[in-house]
Amino acid sequence: MSGLAVGIAIIGLFAVYSATFTSQGPSSLYYKQLLWIAAGIVVMFLAIIPDYHTIGRFAYSLYIVSIVLLVLVMVVGRAGMGAQRWLSLGPIAFQPSELAKLAVVLALARYFAEDPRQSYGLTDLAKPAILVMIPLVLVLRQPDLGTALMLLLAASIVIVIAGLRIQALMVVCIVAATLAASVVLVPPVKGKVWNSLKPYQQKRIKAFLNPESDPLGSGYHAHQSKIAVGSGRITGKGFLQGTQSQLAFLPERHTDFIFSVIAEEHGLFGTGFMLFLYLALLLLGIETAKNAKDKLGALMAGGIVAMLALYVFINIGMTVGVAPVVGVPLPLASYGGTSIITTFLAIGLLSNIQMRRYMLFY
Amino acid sequence: MLQGSPVIIQRRLPLLAAFVILIAVILFIRLWFLQAVKGEYYYDLSENNQIRPIRIKPPRGIIYDRNGRLLVENVLTFDISIVPENTPDLGKTIDALASLIQITPAEIHRALDSAASVRAKYEPAKVKEEVSWREVAVTEARHEDLPGVIVDPEHSRYYPHRGIASHQLGYIGRITREQLKREKTDRGRLSGQAGLERTYDTLLRGVSGRRMIQVNAAGMKVKDLGVEYPRPGKDLYLTIDIDVQIAAEEALGKRLGGVVAMDPTNGEVLALVSHPNYDPNLFPRGISPKDWEKLSTDPSFPLYNRAVQSVYPPGSIFKIIVALAGLDSGAITPDDEVTCKGAITYGRHSYRCWKKKGHGTLSLHRAIVESCDVYFYTMGERIGFDQIAKYARSFGLGSVTGIRLPDEKPGLIPTQAWKEKTLNAPWYPGDTYINSIGQGFDLLSPIQACQMISAIANGGFLYRPKLLKRIRNRENGKVTTFSPEHKGTIILNQKALEGVRRGLIGVVSERGGTGWAARSGLTTVAGKTGTAQVVAQKDLRKKLTGKIADHAWFVAYAPVENPTIAVAVLVENGGHGGATAAPIARKVIEEFMKSDGTKMAH
Repeated sequence: MSGLAVGIAIIGLFAVYSATFTSQGPSSLYYKQLLWIAAGIVVMFLAIIPDYHTIGRFAYSLYIVSIVLLVLVMVVGRAGMGAQRWLSLGPIAFQPSELAKLAVVLALARYFAEDPRQSYGLTDLAKPAILVMIPLVLVLRQPDLGTALMLLLAASIVIVIAGLRIQALMVVCIVAATLAASVVLVPPVKGKVWNSLKPYQQKRIKAFLNPESDPLGSGYHAHQSKIAVGSGRITGKGFLQGTQSQLAFLPERHTDFIFSVIAEEHGLFGTGFMLFLYLALLLLGIETAKNAKDKLGALMAGGIVAMLALYVFINIGMTVGVAPVVGVPLPLASYGGTSIITTFLAIGLLSNIQMRRYMLFY
Repeated sequence: MLQGSPVIIQRRLPLLAAFVILIAVILFIRLWFLQAVKGEYYYDLSENNQIRPIRIKPPRGIIYDRNGRLLVENVLTFDISIVPENTPDLGKTIDALASLIQITPAEIHRALDSAASVRAKYEPAKVKEEVSWREVAVTEARHEDLPGVIVDPEHSRYYPHRGIASHQLGYIGRITREQLKREKTDRGRLSGQAGLERTYDTLLRGVSGRRMIQVNAAGMKVKDLGVEYPRPGKDLYLTIDIDVQIAAEEALGKRLGGVVAMDPTNGEVLALVSHPNYDPNLFPRGISPKDWEKLSTDPSFPLYNRAVQSVYPPGSIFKIIVALAGLDSGAITPDDEVTCKGAITYGRHSYRCWKKKGHGTLSLHRAIVESCDVYFYTMGERIGFDQIAKYARSFGLGSVTGIRLPDEKPGLIPTQAWKEKTLNAPWYPGDTYINSIGQGFDLLSPIQACQMISAIANGGFLYRPKLLKRIRNRENGKVTTFSPEHKGTIILNQKALEGVRRGLIGVVSERGGTGWAARSGLTTVAGKTGTAQVVAQKDLRKKLTGKIADHAWFVAYAPVENPTIAVAVLVENGGHGGATAAPIARKVIEEFMKSDGTKMAH
């Protein structure tokens, strides 16, 4: 699993190299990403050393720390692109919401692991719901719709895995569907929700619902990304040869749209291979969860897999035009320190749980 | 003991696996569809992708004074740029351009080389900025011979008053590498680098627009596809009154120092001067190395805002606080008398009064009027300096006023505990003496002095000094006005306050008063002089300039019955406060009184 993760990160690194390559040679972002990956690998091994039960004991502390950081980012954080999500730690910037999603998954795992029951009804969900809602509201206030959505989905999957009864699940789904329908179909509610969004969010949603309406305006990202992906054809244009990415048609190409760069330069072979690597990583993670020796391990592993899966699928989905442009990174491949380190930390935890599945006697 | 996880989890995990596989398959099908089935279509699109977004810069907000008079504006200028990718024969184009405008081919090559590292492909590289109308005309006329050459209209920042108010207006410059990294913004953008241009940069700068254009294979524009208009920056209306500002700048003249004038009823800053000042027009197009060298190595530090970034010993203006502390706490009464023989002796040390032959016997009122040091040595000891420091702090001394200008200094009000902790030395009675007349460790900035005298004038209300009165959204004309920020109220015994105020009136209007030079025919003035010794001070500027003359202070408010202006003046090495600083304060007050009522906007 660790090997797979490092492999993906290295492919991502080459893509970052290509995406930010200038006529003067590789950019400083490439070297920084190299540094982040190295730091991430160290973090991954560090996360293997202590027993995951020890980590589980710190789950609530980590949760509280991440809540404090989220509050801090609202007070002193700095804004980028119309939202306030960054926290400066000396020279490095840091996105507390990235840490928060991992903290929430771990806290939920610990909560359910300590609950001896086998399955849960709706009434049992009050406490876990509060656990999820606090960071969710804070992230929404930033506002970071994408991450908030991820947080909600990942938490829901953990709760379902933990043993939410099917009936309860149905009720939740029906309520959610009704709410969603009322947002879309009932004009006063729709207006209110719509007005609470930032203009750039409105534009992105409009563009997703009707991409062809304005390919040069709001749908520009999605449109250019689709051209980049499609133009890679089967074999790709070759390393550093992608015209979409090299000529800067594609915005955010080293972060959220790194997959488009890989697709353009390496074609279906490249994308298929990447997809295969991610799938292998996720299935190994699920295997780890199945073999875990107790409920805590199973839920931690399951939660991490759910979180990774969501990021991978939403990100790739966005680059190929089947998911809205919500600005989430591709784990291990996109440029960005917080995401790289958090993901490696998560993979380290998975390996930790896997290694300790047979250690039954102490 | 094999425990394993509960059955239900074992049943749910395969569902997760199925879900993951399903999505992966869907994504693979989508990829296969895009890349294999429609690959050729998208490949053609990418080959002929001739749609380019061109950024449209937003006009930066204009800055006006409180009466709507222009302080900072944008003027239209033209730049000449080259897009090397659009030029079939770069050498030929460069030679042709050099023959038309005043530039050598070598200079063009140099400009292109320096732009190369930050320029994306098809992005224009600036060759010459602010070209003349003649050059614009010939370049446009010979357009056919100059493929890839563009004439760019630009808004250039212009500060019509030059050095006037330079320290609060600040200036704009090329965004620094660090800012670029932090803000993820456009390269080459100009942003506020000092003063209000920096503080309110996000308000002033607006939002870039985009023009989508279609170009042909040669890179020439074929067609406009659409425009997303830029959103202009917001206009700022400052609290500054440009007439009062100019009067203050002229009154201070060539001397180094700072002047702050404020409306004591709300903290609005009417004038803020720091001399020497500088011309902000040097910066917007990138300051030349020669000018920068001159500004940054000038021993009088013109870039430094003395009104908020420099702290000085307050000298006798601090006696206002001591007198108030004594009366309000009840440690002294207005009738307590002290006999000044020109000095006071404690142990082996002798502490002198500024008047060698002494003031004779006097009580509080005459002690303020004549600024008798011996009286305040004696009373400082009776009150106790920690008590005095408490009052000083309540007037905002020792901490920043919160004016929204970069790098404000807090100054210092010492206490016994502070000295023991910081200097690891006990507090001596001599420390009480000298700090009670504003020497020793006391340090404050002109803006703090102005805030202090404002609170005396308005009866104890502390307002955050404010420079921004309102902002106007140019798109919809919406005006947002900022209300005063009330920081706190100092609860004072009204009789004590009245006693001090009477003293301050006496300083300016009574016989023997040290501040008679502030007397005005236009209004009644109350004030206090200060003459701060530099010699005992570890002052860097002293070493640099070799000057050891005293700093001159004057704080004042007017009219005394219902104050509408408070002023603090500090002249570095200016000698006596009464002789040097008081006339400056008078000129500022008189200019304000002339304009008050006719132009004051509310």
